Amino acid sequence: MSSPSELRIMFRMIRRNPVSMLGLIIVVTFVVVGLIAPYILTRPEEAWGIAYNVKDRFLPPSLQHPFGTDEYGRDMFNRVLLGTRFSLMIAVGVVGLALLIGIPVGLVAGYVGGKVGTALMRITDMFLAFPPLLLAIALAATLGRGLTNTIVALAISWWPWYARLIFVQVNSIKSLPYVDAARVMGLGSLTIMFKHILPNALTPITVQAALDMGSAILEAAGLSFLGVGVPPPTPEWGLLVSMGWQSINRAWWISFFPGLAIVITVLGFNLLADAVREAMDPRLRKALIMKGV
Amino acid sequence: MPVSKEYIVKRVALLILVVFGVLIITFVITRLIPAHPELLWAGPHATMEQIEKARKELHLNDPIYVQLYYYLLNFVRGDWGVSWRTRSPVLHDVLSALPATLELVIAAFVIAVVIGIPLGVYAALRRDRLADHIIRILTVLGASVPVFWLALIVQLVFGSWLHILPAAKRVDEILVLRTGFHPITGFYLLDALIEGNIPVFLDVLRHMILPATVLSLYPMSLCARMTRALMVEVLNEQYIRAARAWGLPGKLVTFKYALKNAIAPVIASLGLSFGYTIIGAFMVELIFVWPGIGFYAAMSLLSFDYPAIVGVIVIVAIFYSVINMIVDIVHAIIDPRVRL
Repeated sequence: MSSPSELRIMFRMIRRNPVSMLGLIIVVTFVVVGLIAPYILTRPEEAWGIAYNVKDRFLPPSLQHPFGTDEYGRDMFNRVLLGTRFSLMIAVGVVGLALLIGIPVGLVAGYVGGKVGTALMRITDMFLAFPPLLLAIALAATLGRGLTNTIVALAISWWPWYARLIFVQVNSIKSLPYVDAARVMGLGSLTIMFKHILPNALTPITVQAALDMGSAILEAAGLSFLGVGVPPPTPEWGLLVSMGWQSINRAWWISFFPGLAIVITVLGFNLLADAVREAMDPRLRKALIMKGV
Repeated sequence: MPVSKEYIVKRVALLILVVFGVLIITFVITRLIPAHPELLWAGPHATMEQIEKARKELHLNDPIYVQLYYYLLNFVRGDWGVSWRTRSPVLHDVLSALPATLELVIAAFVIAVVIGIPLGVYAALRRDRLADHIIRILTVLGASVPVFWLALIVQLVFGSWLHILPAAKRVDEILVLRTGFHPITGFYLLDALIEGNIPVFLDVLRHMILPATVLSLYPMSLCARMTRALMVEVLNEQYIRAARAWGLPGKLVTFKYALKNAIAPVIASLGLSFGYTIIGAFMVELIFVWPGIGFYAAMSLLSFDYPAIVGVIVIVAIFYSVINMIVDIVHAIIDPRVRL
């Protein structure tokens, strides 16, 4: 379906639109900062939440503390910076795990079809009957707080979307002549599914999954805010906002900056998602290719 | 054009199936996944006797299918357990909190539609010009802001710093006592109107502005984006060009001929965003001390009140499914193609 050259066209389209480009820059920055955050901290103990600095409590933003300090005198800039890593881990974890569940389910349901396929898709639909985040809240409340539990809870409420997406893709691919050819040659179902159908159904879903990371970050922050996500003193952004809540009248910056970090990151992903969706719209792409983009 | 009976019957049957699925999934999550459901059910500070009592209530000594049977039976009988935080039956708690939330969510959706649709139409008319770009960024931003953070900031700025709007609760209690306001339906705006209590009506409205606006941001963004996308498509249709060429006034063409054909999918998308909005209400109500189901849910989560958490999850999921059904049926009435 999509090939490297199509990805190149997509990238060219993104580069031509400054708003889309802004999204791309934000996302790249987020990923890079998330990867290197632990190595560029100026106050690592405060960032990890294991050191206290009581005489510097509630300091407003200044040159020394760009995001101010919290109720334990910890530098908020360092906390938010390290939070990038947790958001990245959650985003990659949730989407990765959801793909790991959703792809096989959708693939089998689509390829095998019949009663098995219908049953699998009905189960998928039941998961989709929950409003987003509600199932994750239920799971997180049952499993208890923790980074892994947060990722698992979100992934379990997430995979049905991917199962459906793959299901639709596989359904349109499985009747193509080359699949029939493979079957006539006597290849096994598993080989056909994973080696011949999956690679052709994979690009749209990976693009979708990569762009879903913004929503994953947003939902994980929501879980933390409701007290069923990551436990303190982890500097996860949603948790930082919630921790600053009780002293918000005295020190607005504790809640403000972590929230701003969420806004900017998710905005980046959403702008990029918007651009990619537009680029994947075949009618629009055809017009642009004809114009020589 | 009336929708066929079969369609509605089919849709209601699907709803029953979905509710059954929701119950099965919550059963698995709350009874089978935890190693000791009775510990969660009895609460963090329960005594041995309380835990033993919870074991009996949940029929944990019986096989799984018996447990499931009693789980479904109790659900149908309205026996949803007792919240150990409020000490009253969960179903009672949940139902008495529902009107407050519905009032808030309805207000949010009214704001979303009243602002979102014109914004989308305007963006479509100004396609690829500055206004369109600005609206695009604003609507993407609206879908990117964590609702709890925005609620905190708005409450801080308008409530604590500027003091122009009340930042918590549904109504001023002193005013309620002074004017003798007695809620009947639980929808305070409606109740105040029924009683002809204008001061309370205005006060409730003032209390509603901040939380409802915060909550409306997500559906508003979605609504504006959907409207824009559909309008762009419809405005390119032959019959719109024909209407223009015929010399019909631009406004008439835009609103009567174009918008009418774009509105059905917009309604469908609003139905989907109801899910986000109700979860957003969990956080917004917690922050604005709005005594609805979201506040109840958030408080239950923060105090690990497990029976209450399960009750809220079941009722919200069912409510969501019902709303989806209504949206589907309305969608089918407006747009006959859906029924095929």
